Amino acid sequence: MEIKLIEFIINEFLTDNDIEISTDTKLISSGIIDSFSLVSLQLYIEREFDKKIPNPKMTIENCDSVKQIINLINQY
Amino acid sequence: MSSFLFLFFYDKSVIIITIMLSIFTYLFGEIILKSKKKEIYHIISISGLLLCLIYFKYAGLFVTTINSMNEFIKLLPKFEIKNFLLPLGISYIVLKHISYLTDIKWGIIMKTNFIDFLSYSSLFTIFTAGPIERYERFEPQIENKEIKFQWVYLNEGFQRIVFGLFKKFALADWIAYFINPIWQNRQDYTIGIQALAILGFSFQIYFDFSGYSDIAIGSSRLFGLKIMENFDYPYLKRNISQFWRGWHISLSDWIRDYIFMPLAKISQNKVWFLFFVPVISMGICGIWHGAKWGFLLWGIWHGIGISIYQVFLYFEKRNDKLKKISGNIFVKPVSVAITFIFITIGWIWFI
Repeated sequence: MEIKLIEFIINEFLTDNDIEISTDTKLISSGIIDSFSLVSLQLYIEREFDKKIPNPKMTIENCDSVKQIINLINQY
Repeated sequence: MSSFLFLFFYDKSVIIITIMLSIFTYLFGEIILKSKKKEIYHIISISGLLLCLIYFKYAGLFVTTINSMNEFIKLLPKFEIKNFLLPLGISYIVLKHISYLTDIKWGIIMKTNFIDFLSYSSLFTIFTAGPIERYERFEPQIENKEIKFQWVYLNEGFQRIVFGLFKKFALADWIAYFINPIWQNRQDYTIGIQALAILGFSFQIYFDFSGYSDIAIGSSRLFGLKIMENFDYPYLKRNISQFWRGWHISLSDWIRDYIFMPLAKISQNKVWFLFFVPVISMGICGIWHGAKWGFLLWGIWHGIGISIYQVFLYFEKRNDKLKKISGNIFVKPVSVAITFIFITIGWIWFI
């Protein structure tokens, strides 16, 4: 799950190839992900992991790092 | 109880509307929670709430618009409606109730309690100007039914209220003192002075609204309640998307969760996603502010801004030169300035 998520984020959202993404990299607060990206991420999670996350749960508190996203996915 | 006491002194009719809307939403919430046909009951209940909002808030606008068109197209019927009185806080109640019903449908709210819900609907500290707090965050704070008095609440609350009062009365009203005469007699002033007045309005509306939010958050704190933050240095953001992460956050979160994201999932078409979704979402955000076409245009302006920024990101991702330029440390203040100018121009339709 971790590798798939990182790969998705790198391919879909990263504009700067020099940035390395780890499980703790700040995604929303650093500006890598915005509301548009969150929709794509939410749809990817639904498609890839068969987990439906409600919109209000896709927040900065829940999705600011890959680690937090994995925690969120595991709640559903 | 204290909420109803406040509402009683402010506008008695609001008490009846708040209780009736709360019964309506609570009962539909119960049905949605237990029913297998959640979608149908959700649509019915949301339609009811929207009809209520349209009736109270926008019927007057529609009537005056149709009547003004009637002068050109004689076939249109002429309506006459007198004294449309907008109940206090109706725009905020409707948004809170929509989020409550939708969160039940999505399984975020699993248990309900009418008294808790009524307290949430009528909470006087955030009743008239937000923040648009969510039931999910509010309910655990009053669940134990006894938020005990603590001196620290008074300390924190009053500090925040004083800060808010300073922003509102010392800063916002001070700026308004200089620029209000310009709006009243625009023809007497040069374009340059009017541009300066719009710049002033940018700061006036920020201090005014964020001041109100501070007062609301501080007043709630006096009772031991923690209400979400509503502003986070919006004018220091690098782009329009980030601006909306710092301006009226409770509203932008609401628009994102209940309008933007559902609309975005309708189609994967790029034009729909990058243009229509932000423009429609922000258009709704705009007209929510008031029954005036200017608010709609203001929202559309922001929607177009978000759309342009997304297209820029699309090209930036595919162009190394562009990436290098936007990553430059000197470009950062420039992008903050461009964003601020864009926002400031938008206020023209808001005034």
